[in-house]
Amino acid sequence: MTKSIRDHLPYLLLLAALVVLPFAISFLTGEPLNKGIALFSQGLMIQVFILAVFALSYDILMGHTGILSFGHALFFGTGAYALGILVKYAHWSLPVAILAIIVIAALESFVIGILSLRVHGVYFAMVTLAFATVAFILVEATDFKQWTGAEDGLHGIPVPDAINPAIHRTEFYFLALAFAVAIFLLVKLFVDSPSGRVWAAIRENEARATSIGFNTLAFKVQATIISGIIAALAGALNAMWNLSATPQTMEVGTTINALLMTIIGGSGTIIGPMLGAGVLQLLGYFLNLWLGSIWQLVFGLIYILLVLFVPYGIVGTWRVKQLDWRAAWRARFARVSK
Amino acid sequence: MAWINQNRNALISAVIVVIVLALMFNGMSPQTASSVILSGITLAALYFLVASGVSLIFGLMDVLNFAHGSLFMIGAYAGWTYYTNPRLLFNTGSLLLALVAGFALSPLLARFIVLPRWARWLAFLIAFVIAIFSVRDFPIDKLVAMGMTMTGKVIPTAEAQEPMTTMLMRLAGAFLAGAVASAGIATRSAERRAAPMQQTIALVIGMIVAAVIILLAREPGEQFILQTDSNWRFLMAMVAGALTGGAIGALMEWGLIRPLYSRPIYQILLTLGLTFVFDQVVRFVWGPAGAFMEIPKWFNTPSKDCPSDNLWVWFAQNCDSVFIGGRPFPSYRLFIILVGILMLIVIALLLQRTRFGMIIRAGVQDSEMVEALGINVRRVFTLVFAIGAALAGLGGVVAAPFLGVYPGMAMEFLLQAFIVVVIGGLGSIPGAVAGALLVGLARAYGDNIVLAGIQLPWMKDAISGSPAIARASTVLIMAIVLFLKPTGIFGKKD
Repeated sequence: MTKSIRDHLPYLLLLAALVVLPFAISFLTGEPLNKGIALFSQGLMIQVFILAVFALSYDILMGHTGILSFGHALFFGTGAYALGILVKYAHWSLPVAILAIIVIAALESFVIGILSLRVHGVYFAMVTLAFATVAFILVEATDFKQWTGAEDGLHGIPVPDAINPAIHRTEFYFLALAFAVAIFLLVKLFVDSPSGRVWAAIRENEARATSIGFNTLAFKVQATIISGIIAALAGALNAMWNLSATPQTMEVGTTINALLMTIIGGSGTIIGPMLGAGVLQLLGYFLNLWLGSIWQLVFGLIYILLVLFVPYGIVGTWRVKQLDWRAAWRARFARVSK
Repeated sequence: MAWINQNRNALISAVIVVIVLALMFNGMSPQTASSVILSGITLAALYFLVASGVSLIFGLMDVLNFAHGSLFMIGAYAGWTYYTNPRLLFNTGSLLLALVAGFALSPLLARFIVLPRWARWLAFLIAFVIAIFSVRDFPIDKLVAMGMTMTGKVIPTAEAQEPMTTMLMRLAGAFLAGAVASAGIATRSAERRAAPMQQTIALVIGMIVAAVIILLAREPGEQFILQTDSNWRFLMAMVAGALTGGAIGALMEWGLIRPLYSRPIYQILLTLGLTFVFDQVVRFVWGPAGAFMEIPKWFNTPSKDCPSDNLWVWFAQNCDSVFIGGRPFPSYRLFIILVGILMLIVIALLLQRTRFGMIIRAGVQDSEMVEALGINVRRVFTLVFAIGAALAGLGGVVAAPFLGVYPGMAMEFLLQAFIVVVIGGLGSIPGAVAGALLVGLARAYGDNIVLAGIQLPWMKDAISGSPAIARASTVLIMAIVLFLKPTGIFGKKD
């Protein structure tokens, strides 16, 4: 029991800090929750939570199953547009729309998974990129303007007042936080389940996993579907937050964002990509203040340096180093006690 | 008989393609059919220029270059800038060359100092700060202002350029930044593999001298380029685009991809990141809006007899279009087709008739074995990467008068190139040709029916769409090929 509390302590502290954060900022600045910096910082954190879930869904494929997809923005965008179209034009209620999104995302990722997983490795990355780019082209096409709004995007999605971020920002903050925590626990459950073990086996050595007798294609499709659904849910929440769905959600840039968050945080570590989302978003905000529009270029360069020199990310590097440090401490302690 | 067996897949697909084509053009007037086919081949030539590089690079070194579309775009922008606004190239090119000269010092530095890990990061940071200072307040928007026909604001060169002394100081700063950064990447293993010291020194000094000469020649150079007639200027722009693409490709392989051969996944993560960086660079320098490029005089001479009756008459008149199959067809597009065919012949000769091509073909089969035979495979890798990138850059310049230059062309051509190589099979040049033809024709056909509208028997009105639908529909072919034969028509590797 004590061990498990000690293991989970950092997570619980982080969660407590995030729960207290809006009130703490409001207290420090002396402004009410719905004004000034307190309001703004909540908005920033809401984006962090949404992107954290998106990065986590990406890491199910990249970090846990070892599949490299370059078309993940497709699912994010699907969630956003499906929510917008269903709520605004079909006048569905929000919960029903979200259930529908789960079904749509599951079907979509099933079809794309079945088609693309016939090829391996870089081929898969290339094929998924092609599918996502086509979706982006279609969303921007003028043919479906009445539904998607073409290049301008779909604006004015009606969200119930109770969770409308424009009116009840703090409520939306806790909704997004609860969503992120729930998905975190869910993914942890998946990764620790027997299926999750097979994913890890596929990541480490697919041929061997096949020879033990697992139908690796089925497990890879399963991972794709779970990851697709979570990404679509993140996209839906993003649409609720912005009250709009724009073509940018389908762009390659969105996939690169997910990749970046995963690599900064450390792939295959569950919490890593979520922290990566936080780092990326906050860093992006301050770089934008400091450098103006050129910050994205700087960002791209940082990404390249990270890929070259820090491949395991924050959490991954920390875990590796932690073992070294512990070993060093033990060695020193042993010497002293002798 | 053996030949039939060997090429069974290709033969079956050829038969299918012929049947599909027959069905497609059934009921179309011969005039429309010929213009659709010619447009398709035009597109196919451009797709081939991009896809052949992707395919060759993957076949030889198992690197899927996601930045290949960006090389196409960079080539287009470089050629267009050479054609309309060479002062930008003179002023920035020398700085870039100085930076690269600094980087090239790294094997030399590795002989004297190898920094500990923390100092490497410090070196990068210092290099970054020096780089920022050496390009601070660089008047890039003024230098660009001439080529932007869209904004129409022209600033005379004398005002736009900085004085020579300032530029020389910037040059020194860029070199210093590169040198400090190269101290950060210098390692013992780099030293062991490095070329002889004299060679490195000669290379670095050569690059610095070249950078200074480019800078000193900026004014007479600009005058000279702008005064040559449009045909020769365009041909030189093609060379400039291909050289820029090739140089960037070689640098990419040497500096960024080579350290990652032990981590293949990270190579493609890196190239994907590069597409983003190139996109941002282009948007930053030339702005998000695109521009059109003038068609050279050979294909654009006005006269009262235009369009020319046939190709022979066109040689005398140089009209902007020629009657082919009873319909005027833009003569510049014929030039694109010609370039595509020429490049195909060049690649085929290079691969089949030269020693270098023999090494490449052997490397595609088994690069370790080639290395074991004493051939410097690393150098071949860099050269092939440069050749593939140069082809893409050349394609970009050739495409510019036809499609214009715009930041989105990188993703657009990357997508089409990927579809082409998935259909044809990675690593196969015949596959790239077949795939490019298939995608190009499908695209042209799609554009045609999308514009004219589709009317199936049970429909009241024809459905018409935007060209975006035709662009998207090529992915359907890819899905079908993936479903039937995941390795592509000519592909062997999985």
